[in-house]
Amino acid sequence: MRLSLLGGGLLGLALCVSCPAQGADLREPAQLVSETAGKILDSLNSRGAEFEAQPELMEDLVRNDLLPVLDVHYSARLILGREVRSASEAQVKALADAMSNVLIERYARGLLQYRNREQLEVMPLRGELNERMTRVRTRVRMTNGNHIPVDYVFHKTDDGWKAFDVIVEGISYVTTYRNQIMPEVQATGIDAVIARLGRGELLLNEQK
Amino acid sequence: MTRSRGATMHVILNTYTRTSRTGLLLLCLGLLGGCAGTQSRNTDPVGDPWEGYNRKMHAFNMGIDKVARPVAVGYDRITPDPLQRGIGNFFRNLAYPVTLGNQILQGKFVAGIESTARFLVNSTVGLLGFFDVATKAGLPQYDEDFGQTMAKWGWDDSRYFVLPLLGPSTVRDGLGFSFFGYYNPVSWYAREEHVYWPMALDLLQIRASLLPQDKALYEAYDPYLFLRDAWLQNRAYLIHDGEPPSPDYEDYLDEVED
Repeated sequence: MRLSLLGGGLLGLALCVSCPAQGADLREPAQLVSETAGKILDSLNSRGAEFEAQPELMEDLVRNDLLPVLDVHYSARLILGREVRSASEAQVKALADAMSNVLIERYARGLLQYRNREQLEVMPLRGELNERMTRVRTRVRMTNGNHIPVDYVFHKTDDGWKAFDVIVEGISYVTTYRNQIMPEVQATGIDAVIARLGRGELLLNEQK
Repeated sequence: MTRSRGATMHVILNTYTRTSRTGLLLLCLGLLGGCAGTQSRNTDPVGDPWEGYNRKMHAFNMGIDKVARPVAVGYDRITPDPLQRGIGNFFRNLAYPVTLGNQILQGKFVAGIESTARFLVNSTVGLLGFFDVATKAGLPQYDEDFGQTMAKWGWDDSRYFVLPLLGPSTVRDGLGFSFFGYYNPVSWYAREEHVYWPMALDLLQIRASLLPQDKALYEAYDPYLFLRDAWLQNRAYLIHDGEPPSPDYEDYLDEVED
């Protein structure tokens, strides 16, 4: 049961993209994925020991490389669903930031854990590029020869293509969080949710 | 990993229900009855109409895990990774009869031949399945069970149903496990020979392999929902052989705009 969307997602996201954010990026999704994956893996291989000693450096690297090609604001809107109507623009942005921080932290942690173990294969795109939703399929190869499929879902923005969802073995980050966060926002309000995300609060169900 | 968990589900379900079927039924009914009409909320009336019962069974399983997890942590600490991989491979290789049977029932004959080749290679060159040489040689590992077969046959949507000890399932998949689990060699061995340690080891290895994912589960807002949604999505992925439909993002947004 490879249930941990995030456990695996880290791995996948780790290989996601980085690119200089100067003006609109004209590169296409598959190209974005493979170029930046190569770049991140390179820095991991050359500076692995350094990152292990100072995990926060790893987080910085991931933040710098990853954030420019993510559309976290769009992800946040998808996750909020109809609850977005009762939220201000600033609240949506705060939620997007809080979520991307959690993601980056987990992703960096996962990268360190899996360093040197993975190899990325970007599969050929099926059909045409769709500006509203283009799914880039990749496979991460583990040392034991198994493959973990990790897909990135892109859409086209004024700033070029941006990823807004990661799907690991069929488990979508956006869908899973949407199903959790929507009821939570209904119950406690968006500010409370943002605060809890910010605190990285543990919720142990068995203690309820 | 997924398949070996499935295999074990067959195993436990069979052994477990055999020894205490009545007790199990009573437990289920008790929980079902206890919550009838008193559900505080229902997050998915279509896919999870028994949420009240399911949440209680989930809590029960998490309680059991309070004992199981420390054992798995200890095992993980003293067992080197390569050995753990070998043990996992060994049990996964034994799930071959279940996989093959369901490949045939789904008309996947080429894949069935590949699985057979896989089983033969791993059982011999791979030293009784301990080493997964087949995957390295390009023979893919398939994941099939009777729940997936019934989904292929048309039972597309089945309500979510948390099983005692086994965790996330649906009515369809729970039935599937109990039918085909009978043919899993590990459960067969336990049933016929009354030797239980291989099954215990299988379970222990599976629990240990899930340890890195505990954090994500515990950090979830609502671990019950997290597990349910992730499990159901992964299940759809398996049923569609890795090609499930994409989430309907437009629909997520429509809710925003309506």
